[in-house]
Amino acid sequence: MRNLKQKLPGFWFSLPSLVLTLIFSVYPIGWAMRYMFYDYKGYGTERFVGLDNFVRLLSDEAYWNSVVNTFVYAGGKLAITLPLSLILAVILNRGIRGKGFLRGVYFLPTIISASVMSVVFFTVFNSYNGVLNQLLVRYGIVERNVDWLGVDKAMLTVILIAAWGAIGNYMLLLIAGLQSIPDDIYESASLDGANAWQKFIYVTIPMLGPVLQMVIMLAIINSLKGYESIMVLTEGGPIGKTEVMFMYVYKLFFPISTSSNSMEQQLGYGSAVGFVTAIIVGVVTLFYFRLSKRLNQVH
Amino acid sequence: MTTKTIKLRQAKTSAVTSRSLVSMLTKVALWGFLVIMAVLILFPIVIAFLGSFKSNAELTAGSTFLPKVWHPSNYADVWKLANFSRYTWNSVFVSVFATAGTLLIASISAYAVDRMDFLGKKFYVGLQASTMFISIGAVVLRPQFELMVGLNLQTSLWAVIIILVSGHASTYFILVSFMRGIPRELDEAAMIDGCSRLWIYSRIVLPLLAPGLGVAGLFAFRHAWNEYILPLVFTMSQPNLQVLTVGLASLRYGISAASQTHYMMGGAVLSMLPMLVAYVVANKSFMQMTAGSIKG
Repeated sequence: MRNLKQKLPGFWFSLPSLVLTLIFSVYPIGWAMRYMFYDYKGYGTERFVGLDNFVRLLSDEAYWNSVVNTFVYAGGKLAITLPLSLILAVILNRGIRGKGFLRGVYFLPTIISASVMSVVFFTVFNSYNGVLNQLLVRYGIVERNVDWLGVDKAMLTVILIAAWGAIGNYMLLLIAGLQSIPDDIYESASLDGANAWQKFIYVTIPMLGPVLQMVIMLAIINSLKGYESIMVLTEGGPIGKTEVMFMYVYKLFFPISTSSNSMEQQLGYGSAVGFVTAIIVGVVTLFYFRLSKRLNQVH
Repeated sequence: MTTKTIKLRQAKTSAVTSRSLVSMLTKVALWGFLVIMAVLILFPIVIAFLGSFKSNAELTAGSTFLPKVWHPSNYADVWKLANFSRYTWNSVFVSVFATAGTLLIASISAYAVDRMDFLGKKFYVGLQASTMFISIGAVVLRPQFELMVGLNLQTSLWAVIIILVSGHASTYFILVSFMRGIPRELDEAAMIDGCSRLWIYSRIVLPLLAPGLGVAGLFAFRHAWNEYILPLVFTMSQPNLQVLTVGLASLRYGISAASQTHYMMGGAVLSMLPMLVAYVVANKSFMQMTAGSIKG
């Protein structure tokens, strides 16, 4: 009894946090896992339909298109962000003049809202009178305005903007990783006659291994999840060219009235799509985890 | 001096100059890269800042870098005509209460977890950790919305605040790590003196936790201030409740978007200004926290 009395205060102290987490993080998952078996529009009646939503999902071309787009988007973002942030990290980890200031500059995008920046980027990439087109045309780099948000280029534009926002973050994480590499390893490599490039390949990269893996993992998850800036910039358009998985889910839950290809509100089907999407993200993460583990064993 | 040694010396000097030439070229390439990256990063922010002082006609024609005539009056228009005074107030309201609520709830539970043994502690800690790692993004938005409909809060900013506060797992972990640095002797001594746990928390632990609260608060505030989709869901049909991010993005899809580019620029600068100021003042804290997160 005395034991229980001692154990109570801590329970009360953690209770508000526990209750909020249960209600707003755990219950919603249960909600979605129930409604994915229902036909429910959010109003009117709900009807149990078994696996119908999943059958429908299999032949939902718009969704699978968004899955492909998500991987293009994530792959493109990683391909630009990782090398650049690694190079910046390696340079700025050395005793270079003004490195504190430069780090501050590169990290700046991470503190600004992605949605706000997307509005600014809209005025930059706007095909009709965007800043970028004006510059390109004036200096004769292109002859006519490039349709940056059009069918061909929209995905590229969205990727560039995402990379803009992410480089500084990963740079900083990588610098933290670089600082944990002891100096004497570099010194002994120098004594063995290694040049800067060899030191980078044979010392920095292997020693950075665990941090690099974690950063890549974070980058993969973030790019599979993110849709905020796409929503502001293109709403997934034109003709679904920049539609990504979670935005598709969002549109089923909260139809966007202004968008040209607006969908009907469908909570049951949306839950099923959301569930499958979460599984896809989970599988990719797990696959990467296994892969990086195996790579560790090889080395 | 024989010709041999002279040749040798010449060879030596030319090797030295070519090496210093290479190192100079690397230096130039290196700095060129750093400068280009810095320009690319700053470019849109500078464009927004300069654009916010241009007239709409000038923005549409787009032939200038610096404003031909500076129009500070744009900000007065944005503030009054484009309703940004309302958006700013809503943003401040949501961010302040969400930050305060997050800090309160996360700090009291961090105190409990670090200093006490209690019923279901293991379950609680595991739950907090798992909410950090399960990524289901948009899926929870609709059930959260339905919950707020049930509470009749779906048209209130309190719905946004409560949901933001409920996502306090990362703040909790930051505070636990700071809590470990506070010596236990202090609250043990107070316990012996017969002080209650709540008294110890509010009078001893919280003041000592101030640096941690500052850093975690900065992050919670940034998160609340920059959040877009959550407030959008709850204020889609109510312009008077919209926060800066939502109000600004609605200009992008407004009927008269083309004629309001100067509002978009001014509004964007207004929206990012508080974070920019905070960043200039406390950029060490911002960067330390991000770097610290990797060491766990």
